Amino acid sequence: MAERVFITGMGMITAIGDTVEANLGSLRQQQSGLGFTRYIDTIYKEVLPVAEVKHSTAELSTMAGVPNSPEYTRTTLLGLLAMQEALQQAGISDLQQEPTGFINASTVGGMCDTEKVYFDITDAEKEGDFLKYIDTLDCADCTQRIADTVGLTEYITTVSTACSSSANALMYGARLIKQGLLRRVICGGTEALTRFTLNGFNSLKNVDKRPCRPFDQQRNGLNLGEGAAYLVLESESLVRENNSVILAELSGYCNSNEAFHPTSPSPEGDGAFAAMKNALAMSGRSMADVQYVNVHGTATLNNDVSEGKALERLFGTQVPPFSSTKPFTGHTLAAAGAIEAIYAVLAIQHQVIFPNLNYSEKMEELSITPETRLLEQVPVNTVISNSFGFGGNNASLVISKYEG
Amino acid sequence: MKGKYYIQGLAAITPQHTFEGNLFSQPLVSTGSNVFAVTEPDYKTFIPANSLRRISRLLKMGLTTALKCMQDSGLSVPDAIVTGTGKGSLQDTERFLKDIRQYEERALNPTPFIQSTYNAVNGMIAVQQQVTTYNNTFVHRGFSFESALLDSMLLLEEGVSHTLTGAFDEISAEHFYIKSRIGHWKKEMVNSAELYNHLSPGTISGEGAVFFTLTAAPTAQSYARVAGLKMLYKPSLTALTTGLATFLSQYGLSAKDIDLVITGRNGDNNFEHYYRQLDLGLPQVSQLPFKHLCGEYETVGAFALWLGAHMLKAQQVPQQWFPMVSQFPATLNRILIYNHFFGDQHTFILLERTAAPAV
Repeated sequence: MAERVFITGMGMITAIGDTVEANLGSLRQQQSGLGFTRYIDTIYKEVLPVAEVKHSTAELSTMAGVPNSPEYTRTTLLGLLAMQEALQQAGISDLQQEPTGFINASTVGGMCDTEKVYFDITDAEKEGDFLKYIDTLDCADCTQRIADTVGLTEYITTVSTACSSSANALMYGARLIKQGLLRRVICGGTEALTRFTLNGFNSLKNVDKRPCRPFDQQRNGLNLGEGAAYLVLESESLVRENNSVILAELSGYCNSNEAFHPTSPSPEGDGAFAAMKNALAMSGRSMADVQYVNVHGTATLNNDVSEGKALERLFGTQVPPFSSTKPFTGHTLAAAGAIEAIYAVLAIQHQVIFPNLNYSEKMEELSITPETRLLEQVPVNTVISNSFGFGGNNASLVISKYEG
Repeated sequence: MKGKYYIQGLAAITPQHTFEGNLFSQPLVSTGSNVFAVTEPDYKTFIPANSLRRISRLLKMGLTTALKCMQDSGLSVPDAIVTGTGKGSLQDTERFLKDIRQYEERALNPTPFIQSTYNAVNGMIAVQQQVTTYNNTFVHRGFSFESALLDSMLLLEEGVSHTLTGAFDEISAEHFYIKSRIGHWKKEMVNSAELYNHLSPGTISGEGAVFFTLTAAPTAQSYARVAGLKMLYKPSLTALTTGLATFLSQYGLSAKDIDLVITGRNGDNNFEHYYRQLDLGLPQVSQLPFKHLCGEYETVGAFALWLGAHMLKAQQVPQQWFPMVSQFPATLNRILIYNHFFGDQHTFILLERTAAPAV
């Protein structure tokens, strides 16, 4: 029998807080992280809102204990800060005591910094410090720098499946544990805002000039965000051996594919339906057990119809409370799955459901509406967390309260 | 991982003539430019003309190789698509960066952005073949393909029937120049066929797309079985030696049980010491280097696996490709692949003949 997989540590940084605790505080105060960028060089600086982490890259490097290290990109530094918190929260001081894997996720690696010097790098006339960024062009750079800084050496890899990347990283880590290759894996993702990505989504006409409005009839696209989040996953036997504190159980997961279009989901949400259904079946929980769904809810025209249809198909008339936390954090792409997995754990730990901000009008295609209030002291024992991406890549996680 | 995983089908687009015909009679292709480009097949047989116009080079390479691999396997649509790529569609990334600059962020064509996404090839295969199940992409330099292979092995253990597992990377003139600035390539021009005689800083660049269909059970058509896989991150020389010994002993093997080692030697004297360390651990085992066939790139391990699988099935070495090797083993039951990417990601793959006698 495969081992159960428990979450024993979490760390994060987003536009609404530098730590898990600070994120929880902002969620409870209904404080959005959206605003205009201070750090990206773009003509959309005062046009397209983003959820930017409120520190310069230099400040982040000081916070992470690696000041004056230009080879640590913003992507790496966000990840490093989240990693440090996750290790601390899990009470891990010596990574050598237990072989520990690291499954990271990234969509554009160090692009946040390389895009600023790319044309110097390709210009044979130019020499200088910018050559240090050449290694940061890919997605592996941030993973390895984080790993090397904290001392992770086993099963290091990076997943990139667009907006579902870190949900897939969590899934892969859990499977390494279940098959006995490792007893502890740290999984998640890191994403920094870039002009590249902002222009990418804007060229798809997917970015709202206003704060995003998930599941609203008037929604008009997403807002990008940045951040990083990691969860420490441990096998049941390791947890018993170390008396680790269990925050929650990663009880189910599924990755499925739309096989429909490069950037759009199927109109009936086939992939989302299959991902949620199979993840729930794996968790051994019933539909009725699900007390909250943290939806992908990007507020793009297509996602919310498709995901909403999938919820209606799966739960019928009994759709549980659901909300998108994207109006708080923006869409953090590769980090979104892990950030929202932590929100799912927080919902269970604190018996709270987070509100879907900026909602006012029901979508005509759906009969369901998101939870717009902050619900405190409600029973939350099982949460579904959805992350869907380009390439039809759908990932659903089921996170459950630990009940022995 | 103690299970056995079988290569039921495969396909490769590489600098050699690997896509069609009998590889054992294909001439050795070489280059003197330090950049090894793939020999591209006629994509029209696999991709409709209207789609061909829209998609970029790496996507054509990846999709075509995947489709050919499925044909070769004779199996229906796979239960999973798992890939590795170091750089994804480099040309799309470059183009979108340039478009942003040239058009000053206005009225941009989204296509290069979409295609630059690392999992774009996976998405296309899924749409084309209507594969609605598991789909994942790894992007970790010299671990990209091997992570995809490990993921596939996990899936087969979990009970899926067969996976489509592959890797793809391309090189562009621009990227070749970028990596030359951090010493990846030799400064002097080298004939690829003479690569191993030119031990100096740097190597030659390459590219390729390789796919496999992996199954949990063998058939008469199986090429070989993947018996083991190990990735070592930045090992010391001691850790490399220990890692090799542990890896072999895990399968009850020692150096004498290995008929052939496919090594990633690439003429780069900055990292040659790892291969010399391996020589010490595997004395008197025949070796085949392969980078003179495909150059160096992140997912080159897939090329080595493709080569090893063909040799195990045919029980011969394509000797015309290896003028630098004087002796070849008479029988091939077990092949070890050892590769590393610029000294950071080291990988061992143990490959066995489908009907290999037990040790």
